[in-house]
Amino acid sequence: MSFTSSRNIGRSIARLEGREKVTGRIEYVHHLRLPGMLYGKIFRSTSPHARIVSIDTSAAAAVEGVFRVVTIDDIRTVIPHPYYGPAFHDQPVLADGKVRFAGEPIAVVLASDPHVAAQAAALIVVEYDELPAVLDEIDAMTSAVCVHDELKPAATFPDLQHLKGRRGTNIALDYKLRRGDVEEGFRNSDHIFEHTFKNQPVMHTPMEPFVSVADVADGRVTLHTASQGPSFVRIEIARLLGLPENRVRVKVPYLGGGFGGKLYIKLEALVTALSLLVKRPVKISLTMEEQFFMVTRHPCTFKIKSGVTRDGKIIARKCEIIWNGGAYADIGPRVTQKAGFTSAGPYDIENVWIDSYAVYTNRPPAGALRGFGAPQTAWAYECHTDMIADGLGIDKIEFRRRNLLRDGRPQASGTVMKNAALEQAMDQVLARMNWSAPLNRSEGSIRRGRGVAVGFKGITSPTTSVAILNLYGDGSCGLYIGTVDMGQGSDTVMAQIAAEVLNLDAENIRVVHPDTDVTPYDMGTLGSRSTFHMGTAVRLAAEDAKRKIEALAEELGVPPGANLPLSELLRRKYGMQAGNIIGTASFIPAYKKPDTETGQSDNATPFWGVGASGAEVEIDIETGRITVTKLVNVADIGAALNPKLAQIQISGAAIMQLGFTMTENMEFQDGHLTNGSLADYKIPNLLDMPRVFINEWVDSRQETGPFGAKGAGESATIALSAAIGNAVADAIGVHLPDLPLSAESVFNALQRQASASEVEA
Amino acid sequence: MSVSRKIRFSLNGRPVVADIMTHETVVEVLTQRFDLRGARESCGQGLCGCCTVYVNGLAVSGCLHLAALMDGAEVTTIEGLEQGERLDPVQEAFISAGAFQCGFCTPGFIMMVKKLLEKHPDPTDGRVPVGGVAGR
Amino acid sequence: MNAFELVEPRTIEDAFGFLRDADAGIRPMGGGTALMLMMKAQLFTPARLVSLRLIDELKGIRLDEAAGVCRIGAMTTFSELENSKIIADRFPIVTRAMADLANVRVRNVATVGGNIAHGDPHLDLPPIWTALDVEVVLRSAAGRRVAPIQDIFAGYYATTISDGELISEIRVPLRPNRRATYVKVTTRAIHDWPALGISIAVTVQDGRFKDARLVLSAAVDRPTRLFAAEAALEGGNDIEAAITAAALAAAIDVEMESDARGSVDFKKQLLRVHLTRALRNLVRE
Repeated sequence: MSFTSSRNIGRSIARLEGREKVTGRIEYVHHLRLPGMLYGKIFRSTSPHARIVSIDTSAAAAVEGVFRVVTIDDIRTVIPHPYYGPAFHDQPVLADGKVRFAGEPIAVVLASDPHVAAQAAALIVVEYDELPAVLDEIDAMTSAVCVHDELKPAATFPDLQHLKGRRGTNIALDYKLRRGDVEEGFRNSDHIFEHTFKNQPVMHTPMEPFVSVADVADGRVTLHTASQGPSFVRIEIARLLGLPENRVRVKVPYLGGGFGGKLYIKLEALVTALSLLVKRPVKISLTMEEQFFMVTRHPCTFKIKSGVTRDGKIIARKCEIIWNGGAYADIGPRVTQKAGFTSAGPYDIENVWIDSYAVYTNRPPAGALRGFGAPQTAWAYECHTDMIADGLGIDKIEFRRRNLLRDGRPQASGTVMKNAALEQAMDQVLARMNWSAPLNRSEGSIRRGRGVAVGFKGITSPTTSVAILNLYGDGSCGLYIGTVDMGQGSDTVMAQIAAEVLNLDAENIRVVHPDTDVTPYDMGTLGSRSTFHMGTAVRLAAEDAKRKIEALAEELGVPPGANLPLSELLRRKYGMQAGNIIGTASFIPAYKKPDTETGQSDNATPFWGVGASGAEVEIDIETGRITVTKLVNVADIGAALNPKLAQIQISGAAIMQLGFTMTENMEFQDGHLTNGSLADYKIPNLLDMPRVFINEWVDSRQETGPFGAKGAGESATIALSAAIGNAVADAIGVHLPDLPLSAESVFNALQRQASASEVEA
Repeated sequence: MSVSRKIRFSLNGRPVVADIMTHETVVEVLTQRFDLRGARESCGQGLCGCCTVYVNGLAVSGCLHLAALMDGAEVTTIEGLEQGERLDPVQEAFISAGAFQCGFCTPGFIMMVKKLLEKHPDPTDGRVPVGGVAGR
Repeated sequence: MNAFELVEPRTIEDAFGFLRDADAGIRPMGGGTALMLMMKAQLFTPARLVSLRLIDELKGIRLDEAAGVCRIGAMTTFSELENSKIIADRFPIVTRAMADLANVRVRNVATVGGNIAHGDPHLDLPPIWTALDVEVVLRSAAGRRVAPIQDIFAGYYATTISDGELISEIRVPLRPNRRATYVKVTTRAIHDWPALGISIAVTVQDGRFKDARLVLSAAVDRPTRLFAAEAALEGGNDIEAAITAAALAAAIDVEMESDARGSVDFKKQLLRVHLTRALRNLVRE
C-alpha cells in the first residue's frame, strides 16, 4: 500500500544518525571510559563438565598492576544469591563449584590496564574433577548425566512453575500442542512421510562484541551496557541486589549489532557485582572469540511425520523437536514454545501433535537469535513439504496451494489467521524467480536447480511498550522510548510515527536513547515486536500529546481552528518560553495464554511474521560446490513505514541466514569449540553474495498495526534455508537433511546416489 | 633499551606527539590518547576491516599494527576524511545509498572503498575486488 | 600482550647483533601480522622484537639477467609484489594469486621473507615459490647460505631457518615459455583458508609436458611436490592421457590431512578434479 498524502509515513527518510555513523563519531559502549575505571578479563573453564576442586589465583594476583582477582566466593559477599536468567535462575555470575561448559567464566582479573588483566588471567590455575559430559540433544533427553541437579524456574515465567524442584533430568521445558486426533489422521491417510532434520550451532557475531560497564556508588547502580533490553536488565539487577528499580539506572547508546544476542543478562550481573566489590567502575569488553561463549543459537533435531491423502491434502502432522539449549537456559524455554507452536508450518492441518523440548547440555548457552527458532523449524517443514510433493508426484507449488493457511482459517494453536500474506508472498517469489520459464538444468559438470519455501512465526506475547513524547517550550519534540536502535533504524521509524501524528517532520524529532532514569518501560527490542508494539505506543502517546495541546488551546480560550503553534500556546500560558506538553501511552496487545496441555488459544499472537524465499543454485557435481546464483526473499511486513530501511532489514536478515545455511558452523571436539574466531567461523561477505539478490515485501496491511505496519526484522530468515535446500535437491535429486549445506555433503550425497542407483546414466 | 617511547607523527594532517608502550596497537593509541572512535577492534584478526586506518597512504589493520610504527608517518583515520562541514564523497554516498545499519564496520568500509577508488576510479559491476571487510 | 623491547636496526649486521642472544623470546619481525596474531592469542610472549623494516638492502625487486634470476628482497611487501611490473611480466602466476591472498591491508604490510619464515602450510606464496624452483638466500653473522625453498619448510609453523639466520632475499629463476598457475580450493566461504592449494609450473612443447612441478599445499604440513604425478604428466603419450594419469597419481601420492575444510577422501576428489581442470586450462593458454 502507498502513502501518497503522508508527510512522513512511507517515505525513505535517511537514518537520523547517518552522519555520525559515517564519520565514526557515533556512540557505542565499546568506547566508553569512565574515570577510575577498571578493566575485567575473564578466566574461562577448559572443561565442559567438571567440579571445581581448587582455583589458584595467587600468580595472577601477584602480577604488577593487578587490582584484584575475583571468584564466586567474593561475589557471594555482595550478592547472596548470585543466580540469574529470564526463565530459570540457573546461571551463576561466576562458576559456583562446578563448570557446565568449556568457556564458562570462573574468575575475573581487574586492572586499570587491560593488557595486565589479560596477562594475569592466563596465570590462573584451576584443578578440575572431570565429569562425563552430555553434548548432543538426543542423548540429553535420556542421559543419566544431568547438567543441573535441580531445576529453578524464575517467577517471571509462569509456564515453568510445574518444573520447580525437578531433579534428574535435562529437560528444561516440554511444550505440547494437541489438535484433533493425530493417530486417527494417520490411519485415514493414504501416505505417510517421515523425515528428520538437523540444524547446527551458530552465533550472532555482532561486530561490536558484548560489552558492559557498571558503576556502583552510594547504593545506586549505573550500567552502561550494549543491551537490547534495558528495562529487563534494570529489573533483574535490582532483584539480584535487593534494590528498588529506581536505584538501578541502565543506559544504552547505539548497539553495534545485536540480533537477539544482547538480551536478558549477559555481562551486566558480573560487572555490577565487580563494581559493588571494588567500589569503582568496571568494564568488561569481550573479544570476538569470547562471544562464542556468551550465547549461541539453538541447534535442534526435528522429527516430522505427515499423513496425506493421495490428492495432496495434509490431514495429520506430528512434530518432535529437541532444542539443544546448552548449559544455561537463557530464553531457550520461550524459543521452545514460540517456535514450537508454529513448527507444523503455515499449513491448514486438522490433526496436529507437537512436542517441543528444551534440553540442557554441556555446551555454551543458546538463546535468542533472529528468527527465534522459526528458521530451524522452517528448514524442516519446508524441505519435508517438497519431499512429500515429490513422493506424491504433485507439483510442489500446487501442493503448497492446496494446504497453505488462508486468512480466516485456524492455525494449529486454534488462533485464526489474519493479515498473513503467505500465498501472496509465495506468488511474488515465483514471479521474481520467473518460475514458469524453463531452466537450463545441465551444462558440463554443472547442474542447476531451483526451490521455493514459505514460512511464518508467531510473536512473543503479551509484551508491553510505553512511550513518552515531550514537546518543549519552542514546540520542538523529544521522543523517550526504550527501543534500542541496533541498526534496524528504530529511531528513524519511531520519529516518523510521532511526526505523522503531530504534523511535524521526522528529521526534527530528537529520539532520546534508553536511559531507565528517563525512558519508560519496554519489554525489549526483539522478536520483530518494536514496530508493532512500540510503534503503537508512540502513536498513542503522540495522540495523547495532541489532545493535550487541544485542551491547552481550549483552556486559553483560543478559538477552534485557529491553529496556533504550540510555542505560542505555551508562551501565553507561562508568560515566556517555558513548560512542556507530555503525551504518554502504553500498549499491550490482547493475548490468550495457550492451554498447557493442548497449546490451544484463540489469540496466541498479536500478528504473524511471514516470509517466503526462492533460490536458484548451480552445483558442480565433480566438487560438490554449491553456488547460489539467485536468491529472492519476499516478506509480509504490512505497510512499509520507511521503504529504504525495510528493504535493508529484509536483505540483512537474508544475508545472515545465508551464512547460517551455507558456511557457519560452531565446531566442537569433545565439548571444546575449535573454530571460535572469524578466521575459521565463516560469515558471509561481499564475495559470497548471490549474483541476483532480490529483497522485497508484498503489498499488504496489518490492520491492527501502526499505519498498517508490523515487524520486519526476522521475516527473511524464516524460509531462506529451505528454499536453498529445495533448490539443491532439485538440482541433484537428493535432499540434504542437515545444515549447513556443504560441498562435501553434496558430494557424498551424489556418491551414495550413484552407488545406490542401478540405472546407468 | 626501553619498552616505551615517544612517537611523533602526522594525524589527519596535524603534527602530534604521544608517549606509548611498544606493545600498544594503533587502535589503542588512537582511541586512548586521541579519543578517536572511528577505528575499532572487532574481529581482532585483521579480517573485518573495522580498524582500517591509512599509514603513509596505505590501508592497514590498526588492531594488528604496532603504534610504534606510526613514528614519522602520516596517519589518516575516518575522522580525517571530512573537510570542515563537508563530508567526503564516499561518506555522502554511503548516506544516500543507506549503505549501513548498525554502523560499527562503516568507517572501515568507507576507508577501504576510498582506497579502492584510488586504484579503480571507474569500477564496474562484478570484477572489482573489495575483500577483507566484514559486516553483520 | 606484555611489554617488550622493539628495536629497528638500519643494517643487517645490526640486526644480527640484536638477534644474537639465542632466546626464544627474541624474534625478527617483517610485516608483523602473523606475529601480532600469535602475540594476541598469547601463543608467543616476546622479550624483544627486531623489526627489519628499515634495512634497505632487504628491499627491492630486481632482474639479474646475467644470473638468470629475479631477486626479491625479503622485506618486499605483498602489495609491492602485486603492483610490480617485473613480476607481472615474468611471473603472472604471482600477480594473479595476490588478488585472493588475504586482503589488501595484510598485503600492504606482509613481507615475502616473513611469509616464508612463518611456516604456515595454508599460505599461498610458499607453494607457488616451490613450483617456480625458488632459492632462498639466508644470512647470519657467520655468513650466508643458499637453499632450495622446499628445504626450508619442516612442518606446521616449523622451518629449517636457525636462530640468528635471516632470509635476505629469494631468487626466482627466469624461465621463458613456462606456464604456471595456482588454484586455491576453498570449500566453505569463497574467501577462506584453502582446503588445498595446487601450484603448477610446466613447459608445454611438441604436444607434451616437460619439466613439471606439481605442488600440493594446505592439505599437508608443508608444500609438497607430487613427484609421481609429475612423472606421469611428463610420461604420457598425449596431453589428455597425461593429465588423467597425473590426476590419478596425485590423489594417491601423498597423505593428506582431514580438517574442517574437508575429509581426506573429499580432498582427494578435489585434487583430482582441480588438477585436471588446471592442467587443461594451462594447455589452452
